[in-house]
This record gives sequence, C-alpha cells and structure tokens, in this order.
Amino acid sequence: MPCSPYVEQLVRSTASQQPSIRAALATATRLRYKGLIQGFLDSAERFASREALVVDDKSLSYRELRGRAAAIAKTILDRELESFPLAAILASRSVTAYAGVLGILGSGKGYVPLNPKFPVDRTRKMLALSGSRILVVGREALGQLPRLLLEAAWTLTVILPDLDDAADLCAAFPRHRFVSSRQMADGAGFAFDIEVNSTAVAYLLFTSGSTGEPKGVPIHHSNVGSYIQYISNRYEVTERDRFSQEFDMTFDLSVHDMFVCWERGACLFSVPEKSVMLPAKFIRDHGLTMWFSVPSVVALLSNVRLLQPRCFPSLRFSLFCGEALAATHAQDWQEAAPNSIVENLYGPTETTIAISHYRWYPSKSPQECLNGIVPIGWPFAGQQCCVVDHERGEVSETGELCLAGSQVTDGYWNNLEKTQGQFVRFPETGGTLWYRTGDLVKRGENGCLYYLGRIDHQVKIRGYRVELQEIEVVLRKTSKAEQVVAVPWPVAYGSADGVVAFVSGGSNLDDLHILNRCREVLPDYMVPRKIYRLEEMPLNDNRKIDRKKLVKLLEGA
Amino acid sequence: MAMSETQLVDLVITWVRGNHRPGNSRNGGISADTDLIASGLLDSFGFIDLIVFIESQSGCKIELTDVDPSEFCVVKGLCRITLRNQQN
Repeated sequence: MPCSPYVEQLVRSTASQQPSIRAALATATRLRYKGLIQGFLDSAERFASREALVVDDKSLSYRELRGRAAAIAKTILDRELESFPLAAILASRSVTAYAGVLGILGSGKGYVPLNPKFPVDRTRKMLALSGSRILVVGREALGQLPRLLLEAAWTLTVILPDLDDAADLCAAFPRHRFVSSRQMADGAGFAFDIEVNSTAVAYLLFTSGSTGEPKGVPIHHSNVGSYIQYISNRYEVTERDRFSQEFDMTFDLSVHDMFVCWERGACLFSVPEKSVMLPAKFIRDHGLTMWFSVPSVVALLSNVRLLQPRCFPSLRFSLFCGEALAATHAQDWQEAAPNSIVENLYGPTETTIAISHYRWYPSKSPQECLNGIVPIGWPFAGQQCCVVDHERGEVSETGELCLAGSQVTDGYWNNLEKTQGQFVRFPETGGTLWYRTGDLVKRGENGCLYYLGRIDHQVKIRGYRVELQEIEVVLRKTSKAEQVVAVPWPVAYGSADGVVAFVSGGSNLDDLHILNRCREVLPDYMVPRKIYRLEEMPLNDNRKIDRKKLVKLLEGA
Repeated sequence: MAMSETQLVDLVITWVRGNHRPGNSRNGGISADTDLIASGLLDSFGFIDLIVFIESQSGCKIELTDVDPSEFCVVKGLCRITLRNQQN
C-alpha cells in the first residue's frame, strides 16, 4: 500500500530525534510500492546474512548483494542526465549482471537486458529501440563495448562496476560519459527509498520480429507481481530452497529464477555457461531443490547417459517451459528426480513468463499426452483463456489460444501496428483485452489445453522464439538470391534443434560468406546450420513456396 | 582398437573442422587446448554429435557423470577422458 506523500511530508517535517517518529518514517518508506524489487528488499531485511547468490564460485549474502545493487542504483540516480523510465544492462552470469538488474530496479527504473553473446549489431538495435540512456556493463561484455559505442548515435552514461579506470574509454568516445568502479557512488546509505507505479515497466524484453526488427515486449510491475505471488505460493518456496539459474537474462524465464527465489529468501545458483546444457554435475554438487529449464536439456542429458534413475534426489520441483515437453522426457526426468514434482509450464513473453501448468503424474499422465507431447494444462488461477477460430468467434475445441488476465501485458513497445494485430477485444467478452498467441491448441473436455503447433511461421529453437521471416530478411539481403526460405530442422516433438536455409536464383556468393554475415546480425540459434541451393523452389497448388516439400527434401537427404 | 592421445586429438580436430558451427571465423586456430564450447565452434548439440562420433571410433562409452565441463569441453580433456574409459 503506498504511503500518501502528504503524510510522509508531515512525518518528515516534524521529525525529531524521537525513536517513534523515526520508526514511523521507516514504516512509511517501507510501505511505498517498490514493484518487482520489493521481495528482494524484504528478504534482505529478514535474511541479511543468508546466501542470496552463488556465481563464478563466489557467494554473496543478501546484505552483500543489496550493497552492490545500492551502489549501482545510487550511481544511476546521481549520474543520469535526463529522467527516463528504463536502463539497460549488458552482462551475463556475473555478480554485476545480478546486482545490475537489482540496481536498475532499485533506482525506480525498468531494466532492459542485453546479451553479450548476441551480435553487436543486434544489441545496438535493441538498445536504440528501448531508448535507454543508462547502460550498466559487466566485465564479460567489456570486449564488445567499443564496437557497440562506435555507432551509437546518442549520448549514453555507461556504468562500469568491474573497471577501475575508464580513461581510455573517455578518450576514445568523448560523446559518452563513463563511470568507473572508483567513481561510483557509495551505496552504504542508500535506503531504496523509491516508489514506482504498478503500471510502470519492470522489464523490457525483445523477441524475434517478422520484419527483421526485434519486437519489444514491456512487462509491467503489476504483471510480474501477479506471477511471482502465484508461483511462490504454489511451490511453497522457502529460504531453504536452492534455485537453478539456467536462462540468459534476455529470456524471460530468468525473471522466474531470480525473483521467485529472492521473494522468499532462497539462494540462486547461476549455472556456468559450459554447464547450461549438461548441468547434471552442477545440480548434484550444489544440492539444488528447484530446477527450471527448457526441455531440450533433458534430451541432451539423456543422449550422453547423464540422466540416470535417482541421480537428482535433492530436487523438490522440476519445471520445464519454453518449448514442447515430450512425454518420454517428463518420464525420464521424473525417474532421475524421484523426490521432485515435475510440471510443464507454458506462456508467451507477453503473458509474463508462464500462464498455464500441467502437473506430471507417472501413473496417469502418459495416457493424457497427445502425439507424445505433455499437455500445457490449465491457466493459473485468476488468468483467463479462450480458443477462437479464424473469424475470432470462440470455439469449443481446436483453434488459436487467446489469453487475458493480470499477467498479460497491453501491447508492444512503441509498435502500434503489431499491438493492434495481437491485442484484441472480442464483442462477446466485453472490454477484456486478449492476447492472441498464434498457438494452435485443442481444449479437452475437462478444459485441459494441448499444444498442437503454430498458425504462422514462428518456431521454437531450443526454447527461443524465432520468426522465420526475420532469418529470411537477413538471408535475402546477404545472399542476393531471388528466393530464400528458412526451415526449422531437425524437429522433434514440435521443437527444433536449429534451422537450415534454401536459396534459389541469382546468388553467386559462397555459403561461408552468407553464413558469416548472418552471424554478424543474428543470435547463434538463428544462424542457419547449412544452405541448400535449388534451381527453383517447389510450389504448392496456390503457387506459394511449398515448405512441406522442402522438409521432405531434408528427410530424404 | 587402442588409440594414442595424439591420434585421438587429431581425429577430433579433423571432425570439428568438418562439422563446426557455420560462419565461425575462429575455426582456423583449433588445437588440443581449444575449448569447443567457449570458442563457439560447437554448440551443445554439436558437442553431443562429437561424443557419438568419438564413441563410434574408439569403441568405448564416454563416462561424463563426475567430470567437470571445464575439462570435457577442451579437446585434450575430452580425449583423455575417452582414453581413461578405454583403459577401465
């Protein structure tokens, strides 16, 4: 409940040395709505000396992590030239990455995660689209910073908690302002005395866009607040829990890892890059109790025989999200983690992390799977779903899944056209705003939802959402070919391991040149693994490129 | 067929040169000390393919259960683990 500014002013103006007044002031400060960071701050008070984060073999208590975040938050507030509601963080799996997210939220702004593994061109585009003027950079991203700044046509304030001396950067990039670790504010006295609006943006993520431009999805404090409360209660999270942190921060599932964990004073274990896809030893070494990953991890562990019965006895919950979960994988994981409840979660970024769940029961679930895929289940309590046909009339069984409720955002970042296409109101549901997912589902008699596929050309590659057209835009530009098609391949249980390209007509450039250029602008998982050259593309009866025939060519190759 | 470490390292390097991720400019510098994941030469799926290849060539199963990824991601480390398994 926010405290009235008038009441607070009154308390301040009459503040004396009386302990009762000081206590009232402290209470007033605490009662302010601080949004996503609130749970962390509460835990930092209750569990100050407990471990909050283990990353790079370093362990930080809640007190220490709060201190690092405070220094970044105070520096942002001291140094920003003009007020803007967002700030960006370019860091990954480091103390600065986590303290940076908390510091940005602690300054009252929403955070924009950028990925040091992404091509610099893409990162620059995301930074520009966000409008952020503040950029926090971790040690692991210092190498790419000069290239990022070289073509940044606006003035940035760059905060560098891992760099003692920024003189070289100041000399090379006079347009921008740099704050080295020595110049940062002392966070010791910073009280996180902020108040945010529940409709303000907590974080802004970018997903693949069909036009070739990444698409910004703003998630508000109220959206993510609903999620965190629901999930923390559902999984009865306590300060004794030990959470995995598998996902990159540009993947919204990382928000679950961090903020569900810190909501209840638990400890977050950042999985090192090398262990992300083969995390068996990491889970055992750290005695994790909460696991969250894409289902691809199960397949990989299984392939190298690292998924043995009872090998993960410490896990009490295992959650999978981001792509279809095969029944065999759910079963294998359940045997590997016999003390764990296994759940399949589903949710597009626009609906905040996940919005439906299905609990796996070894005795009955195998019979409830459709095409060997675990159902996506039922919406979280308080969230709504409907299944609509082409004319957007609600249908009872198979159609496009639409979602509404407190977790669903209200549009894309500065993109009215896309917003109007995906966020709609149906006459028969009054004023409710629905998000059209583009996912084709079947609804069972008991209301259980089954994922069937997409109604467009969006695919999931290792959990990442990819618009094939975005890859095709880059391929067309780089290959100069008349026709280009990106095809997800190989595909198993509705999810792809990668993508390959078909090109025909007019391209004399060699494959390596084309693929090198793709790598400069697309993230790794979107770069085609191979280029196939055809005299001409196969066409279907409507004279459109026959994608099914292309898949058949791959199957026969 | 028993292989020496040098033979196995050469075999792995040859395989990686022919199967690395496309468009990666760092493939010229691959050596026994190269970290296949950190260098970007292979993603985790490519890494699994490599393990399947090594197992087919060496005739033994590679046991990764208690090995740290920082060891098995490096060409030399992966080959030593394979040969260790071959001896056991």
